[in-house]
Amino acid sequence: MMINWVGLGTIVRREWSRIMRVPIQAFVAPWISALLFIFIFGFVVGGRIRLIGGYHYITFVLPGVLMINVVNAAFLQSTSQIYFQRFLRYVEETLVAPLSYVEMILGSLSMVVLRSVVTALGILAIGAAFGAISLQSLPEFLFWIVCVAVTFGLLGIIIGLWANNFEQLTMLNVFFITPFAMVGGAFFTVSMLPPWLRWLVYGNPFFYFINGLRHSMIGFNEAPPYLGEALSLALCAILAVWVWRLFSRGYGLRE
Amino acid sequence: MTPALQISDLRKVYRRGNVAVDGLSLTIAPGDFFGFLGPNGAGKSTTIHCVTGIATPTSGTIEIFGVDSVKQYRGARRLIGLCPQEFNVDPFATARQIVEWMGGYFGLQAAERSKRTTELLERFGLAEHQKKSFRELSGGLKRRVILARALVHNPRLLILDEPTAGVDVELRRDLWRYLQDLNADGTTILLTSHYLEEVERLCRTIAIVSKGKIVRHGPKEEFLGAGLENAYLSATGAEPDHIAGAAA
Repeated sequence: MMINWVGLGTIVRREWSRIMRVPIQAFVAPWISALLFIFIFGFVVGGRIRLIGGYHYITFVLPGVLMINVVNAAFLQSTSQIYFQRFLRYVEETLVAPLSYVEMILGSLSMVVLRSVVTALGILAIGAAFGAISLQSLPEFLFWIVCVAVTFGLLGIIIGLWANNFEQLTMLNVFFITPFAMVGGAFFTVSMLPPWLRWLVYGNPFFYFINGLRHSMIGFNEAPPYLGEALSLALCAILAVWVWRLFSRGYGLRE
Repeated sequence: MTPALQISDLRKVYRRGNVAVDGLSLTIAPGDFFGFLGPNGAGKSTTIHCVTGIATPTSGTIEIFGVDSVKQYRGARRLIGLCPQEFNVDPFATARQIVEWMGGYFGLQAAERSKRTTELLERFGLAEHQKKSFRELSGGLKRRVILARALVHNPRLLILDEPTAGVDVELRRDLWRYLQDLNADGTTILLTSHYLEEVERLCRTIAIVSKGKIVRHGPKEEFLGAGLENAYLSATGAEPDHIAGAAA
């Protein structure tokens, strides 16, 4: 089947135009947030903390801060783009056009990845300014950024299709993303926790995302080899099938 | 000759069991200017939504110039342009972006898309407003943007759902002239309107829908004997003037 590349590209251009109407919200806010984390943990708190796994605290924390912001960027991008299309009904522009479900999903996800990568590059630049940046494996780094962006982009699409008001739109962020991200090992190692509490980290998908990104950046790893990659790819595949099925049914899209 | 639009036994039942369209069948000849009338809630917009892909039919078939709207949806949608009743746009996008993006969704390459967008914006008097966001435009200008958007890919079947609602007399007459020219050039037009004068002036064939079914269908002349309004009221089960007068 021929892909409507022009149509797919137009979805990306439209979404880029939409978020560039709110660049402070889309990019500057996560960069300032990351800057504050790096400043506080790197200099204020980090200066009083001994090395963790042989690394300065700021170097250890930066991948976690980066991953939390990538997750937020991906989720906010996909929920807002789907929800506003439905809320203002301009989703009908794409429904009446010769676009397949796959093209609509790919268009949305392309923008999710683009926004996440721009957010990540900004945070890397801030980290570099503080001398906290290190990159052991670029392919592994890119894998984690793209894989996590796509995963949370897909999750955001599901929430964007399901939500009927702004309150519902933020529920997953409040009750799942923020708490799980905070206890996912962004700011501490698993070995810092008492053994009876470690299940909280090992059972938390965010741990594998943060640990994987940290491994690609500084080589520090606390999970069995390839377990994180396998879990993340499986989660991504399950969400992709779920989103495809929702689109096929027209859930939240077609009358 | 292949019909421009062939709807066979279309049925649309919404999730809560509300039957919006109930076994509707309709054929529109190519090149026709077709009036699709009916009271609010009769099933006009739902039928249009099923034809254009906004709604999924519960059962029945729809073909546009012989192309199945579900099985060959890409081909079918390339043939249709929709000017909807409500403004379904990103209100912060500019007039130019709205038209140009629609060209993109339909796969028009950049140069062709830009040329076509410029042509349409000029034709509808929108050139000086092209950089304004949609929400800054007046009601009449918004209506023109929506019409320009529907035409960007040169559709063979143009569907207009209440295109002149809330539009001033001058723009309405300008739109009428444009639609007549478009029809004369071969574009088939399906028009829904509550302005019977508009339908009487523009359309050659008329169908009246009530409670999800076609209750009357034929050439315009068949409706004009007792006046289109009386024919409409009679067909939809309301009381025509002469019956009301006789009863009084």
